[in-house]
Amino acid sequence: MKKSKLVWLLSLMLVLSVFLAACGKDEPAAPAKETDTEETTDGEGTETETEEEPAEGALDAEQILNLNHVAEIPSLDSSIVEDQVGFDMLGNVNEGLMRLDQENVPVPAMAAEEPTISEDGLTYTFKLRDAKWSDGSPVTANDFEYAWKRAIDPATGSPYGPYMMAGVIKNATAIGEKKAEVADLGVKALDEKTLEVTLERPVPYFISLMSFGTFFPLKEEFVKAQGDKYATNSETVLYNGPFIMTDWDGTGLTWKLKKNEQYWDAETVKLTQINFDVVKEVATAVNLYTTGEKDRTGLSGEYAMQYANDENLLKELEPTIFYFKYNQERNGEKTALANKNIREALAKAFNKDDLASVVLANGSLPANYLVPKEFTFTAEGADFREVNGDLATYNVEEAKAAWDKGLSELGVTELTLEILGGDSDLSKKMDEYFKSQLETNLEGLTITLKEVPFNVRLELDEAQDYDIQVSGWGPDYQDPMTFVDLFVTGSSHNLMSYSNPEFDKLIESAKGELALDAEGRWNAMAQAEKILLADDYAIAPIYQRGTMALVQPYVKGIVSHPFGGDYSYKWAYISGKE
Amino acid sequence: MAKYIARRVFYMFITLFLIATATFFLMKTLPGSPIASASKLTPDQLAVVEAKYGLNEPLPVQYGKYMLNLAQGDLGNSFQFKGASVTDLIINRLGPSFLLGAQGMILGVLIGIVLGMIAALRQNTIWDYGSTLIAIIGISIPSFVFATTLQYWFGVQLGWFPVALWKDGWMSSVLPSIALAMGPLAIASRFIRTEMIEVLSSDYITLARSKGASGFEVAFKHAFRNALIPLVTVLGPVAAGLLTGSLVIEQIFAIPGIGEQFVKAIMINDYSIIMGTTLFFSVFLIFIILVVDVLYGVIDPRIRLSGGNS
Amino acid sequence: MTQNLDKLPADSFKRITIDSSAAERISKPSLSFWQDAWLRIRKNKAAIVSIVILILIILMSFIGPMLSPHDAETQTLTHANLPPKVQGFENLGFWDGVGNMAGTDVDLYELKKVDTYYWFGTDGLGRDMFSRVWEGTQISLFIAFVAAIIDMVIGVLYGGISAYYGGRVDDIMQRIVEILYGIPNLVVVILMILVMDPGIMAIIIAITITGWIGMSRVVRGQVLKYKNQEFVLASRTLGASNNRIISKHLLPNILGIIIINTMFTIPGAIFFEAFLSFIGLGLQPPAASLGTLINDGYKLIKFQPHILMFPSIVLSLLMVAFNLLGDGLRDALDPKMKD
Repeated sequence: MKKSKLVWLLSLMLVLSVFLAACGKDEPAAPAKETDTEETTDGEGTETETEEEPAEGALDAEQILNLNHVAEIPSLDSSIVEDQVGFDMLGNVNEGLMRLDQENVPVPAMAAEEPTISEDGLTYTFKLRDAKWSDGSPVTANDFEYAWKRAIDPATGSPYGPYMMAGVIKNATAIGEKKAEVADLGVKALDEKTLEVTLERPVPYFISLMSFGTFFPLKEEFVKAQGDKYATNSETVLYNGPFIMTDWDGTGLTWKLKKNEQYWDAETVKLTQINFDVVKEVATAVNLYTTGEKDRTGLSGEYAMQYANDENLLKELEPTIFYFKYNQERNGEKTALANKNIREALAKAFNKDDLASVVLANGSLPANYLVPKEFTFTAEGADFREVNGDLATYNVEEAKAAWDKGLSELGVTELTLEILGGDSDLSKKMDEYFKSQLETNLEGLTITLKEVPFNVRLELDEAQDYDIQVSGWGPDYQDPMTFVDLFVTGSSHNLMSYSNPEFDKLIESAKGELALDAEGRWNAMAQAEKILLADDYAIAPIYQRGTMALVQPYVKGIVSHPFGGDYSYKWAYISGKE
Repeated sequence: MAKYIARRVFYMFITLFLIATATFFLMKTLPGSPIASASKLTPDQLAVVEAKYGLNEPLPVQYGKYMLNLAQGDLGNSFQFKGASVTDLIINRLGPSFLLGAQGMILGVLIGIVLGMIAALRQNTIWDYGSTLIAIIGISIPSFVFATTLQYWFGVQLGWFPVALWKDGWMSSVLPSIALAMGPLAIASRFIRTEMIEVLSSDYITLARSKGASGFEVAFKHAFRNALIPLVTVLGPVAAGLLTGSLVIEQIFAIPGIGEQFVKAIMINDYSIIMGTTLFFSVFLIFIILVVDVLYGVIDPRIRLSGGNS
Repeated sequence: MTQNLDKLPADSFKRITIDSSAAERISKPSLSFWQDAWLRIRKNKAAIVSIVILILIILMSFIGPMLSPHDAETQTLTHANLPPKVQGFENLGFWDGVGNMAGTDVDLYELKKVDTYYWFGTDGLGRDMFSRVWEGTQISLFIAFVAAIIDMVIGVLYGGISAYYGGRVDDIMQRIVEILYGIPNLVVVILMILVMDPGIMAIIIAITITGWIGMSRVVRGQVLKYKNQEFVLASRTLGASNNRIISKHLLPNILGIIIINTMFTIPGAIFFEAFLSFIGLGLQPPAASLGTLINDGYKLIKFQPHILMFPSIVLSLLMVAFNLLGDGLRDALDPKMKD
């Protein structure tokens, strides 16, 4: 008997010892020396005169940044790129007419100056600066014309080309419908350095589109010479951005960015090299950060909560909104969600504050709106949110009243609804919270949860085979339109049978007759948002996503962007690592 | 013997053909589309993109085309990595997976055999329980917890090995190999123990003992050799599984391996990678099964290769 | 030798008669196969301890959720992420509700003004881990047992038939297995889970749909090994039917390996379920298993270790117990090891 006891004791100890890892003191293994003693502020532009530093300022001799990414690069072909990593890298190795600056304002990049815009807002003329490709040849207006036509050409199979250009650039929609030729696209190189773009209708945010990857230039001669191999590894791409890519084999988990000496603004670029590795597991990324091998790591889900008080934590609010998408017609039949009161009840019956602060706990904000905070501003700098403020806020009393009304209109006392969600741990946790909240606050409601991988969700979405879907949307350009436009009748995103002529009319007028009337347009979009959220309760906003990252204190000047590529490293530098 | 192997190789091709067919149609019934931005496109726009990848054609046509290309040794291009050939992808990703799999397997089996022999020779003693326990502990903790713990202790806290990434040569492979070794270790030690106990109680061992053979001689010359037989049957598939099953380990240690890519491909409907890796694994697996069956006859002469005429 | 014999005194020898009935007498009491097995397993202390532990865990999985004043489903967000606290341990330095908050140890119960006890702490939604762990155990065990039984039945039948009849039958059956083996498990599993309504049954079917192949290969190997041995040939020569040969000769001989394999199938099934939750295809909430609990917890290992620790300990105990019991049973069931 003694032996067995010993065995059990041993076994327990072994099991426990594994968990001691958990209790081990969490010392950073390779901390930057004296980070918290000397450095008082880390705000931008603080020039502390340190005696022993050389005159050129706080720059370290070695300007190498070590970063990780969440996924591989699927492609570097600007016509083909459709994912986060691809756009992120593209934005750093190539450059369009405009580039978002440190304040996320589009400023001339390949364009030498702001374009001249015709009276009717339909024609934009860009003058190009003297910039060079990484092979030394000049970037010409023809490179833009070629790239855009290539992106709209059905033979290319570009996903973003038609998506970004349709309804914006002249004839883009018609080319998609085979009613016009690719050559008819409203873009033309007037001469080597002048590009003329003709729009379908006035588009107030057109300038900001020019910083988006799909509109980057491509050198025809080079692309054609590479053929199918174009942009399948770092050797078969031409670069005109702040960095060039090396050591990317097309499918690998590692690559490097090196400073592009040919870049027109090369003197601004301080970093000589950025080493990227794909690390898909957040725990691993955090460990790499802790040992100092990586200079920055994004924190998702549970990790954000755990590092909430870390002094190197960087919180950012993303312009990405998550909301309940109510399907009003499933399998050809009206669902209970076709009843407005039911939708209202569901929208008001869960506590968004608790959701954001306790369940998500990653810097996300409760959202009572569709167009995100800190995303779009008037010329005077007023946030779009100031117009409407909060819509459809959490209110159990109103929710219950609406619920009872809705149920009696439907003539039932009980309802079972399905929530379709993502398969990440965080979305599962969130769905469980919805289930508990909604079932507690709305009597007679049963929620079933269905959690599937992303592309399965897309398929269910397309087939309109769901009741309530937890859906998210990030902007493609800097204008409220990228959000409100989703819900017009027949939109490819409106797969929930929502249709309100009044709403459609407002959007139509914002795109059409009000296009040049900034204030009227602004108000029309705000009015539309209000109809959507507070009159029709067509969707129920949940939260605006926040992100958190751990950044070593010696890393400065990484700029994050609300759309297109996530980060720019053009202005980044290392200071105080040594 | 040669005739037998020739027969089996012939069967191998039929099997592969059937596997390819079954996987092809199963995979096409997976919900979802390989086009990542499908949600942003109108049906017309989507149709254009689908046409580019030949996804708009009827299934039998797609199947026929794939098989024709396959017959010419062309696995096609990935959907996910635009324009990247699946063959290149597999070749690039194979090295790390293979190294980890082989090291994990060898380490696990060697330790497993030692533990199993100790347990068998000292049945129902503290040695037996102890080695059993060590073998079980390794598989009592899910591999992602075990791997993370290894990483935290030996990478972050002690700094003996790289935390992750495939950059420091052989050193990078140590922790993941240890994490991978746990499965084979447990299986090997259990089977060796079972088989050796059985063999040790058989008559010829008693005879060998009574003739004065030393314990060591009995254990190695007689018992061990016989105990290897069932181990070989079990380890064949385990070896193949290590290549596919290393998903978790590869993901945690950020290693550019094939397992990690395979699961991702299934999740995002990258049809050509699914097919390519499936076929690769199948060839590997069937080959191993063949080797095992042949070995079986070599190790244990009692089993005759009954190639069909028994 | 012969000379010495002559010198022996004759009176040293006594003539006896052979009582032929005594030779036939069985000195030990007659025992059935299972009685015999039980007698032997009783001597194996590790196996007995394992049985006790398994019984305890199974019992707890049913009565555990009732013991706790909190149920597994109620979410109390104000009580989220509390460390374990047990009555009577307040001053002992552990299980006292003190947890790590932003690098310092504080009594989180006091901080959050919670005056109740959560024995295993709470999770991120403020649910009682004690109830959740035992309910998770129940679900994990259910999945594992059902999957193991299905695997065993199909695997033994398939492997046995294939090996016993041999020849063409074996050939065809093995080719089928090779094809099934060659189709990536994960494709089939994911397809199953996506096609069927997600839930326990979908996961069981997904686990068993290819899980039996391992068992069938082992059984086939064993039957091949035994079917041409002398005792089987002898039995066949004496006119024994196939049924008799299988049930009296082959089955007892391979029982040990079947049991060991099953003892591996059970943890294997639990683990496969955990793997599925790692890649996002596990049980659909609010149902939870040990696998999903561990998957939730491992990300919190540094700051809320209790969320990982309790389900892991239960899981590890289950694993160790099943394995030691498997060994014990194997030793006990093998007819060749009579002492």
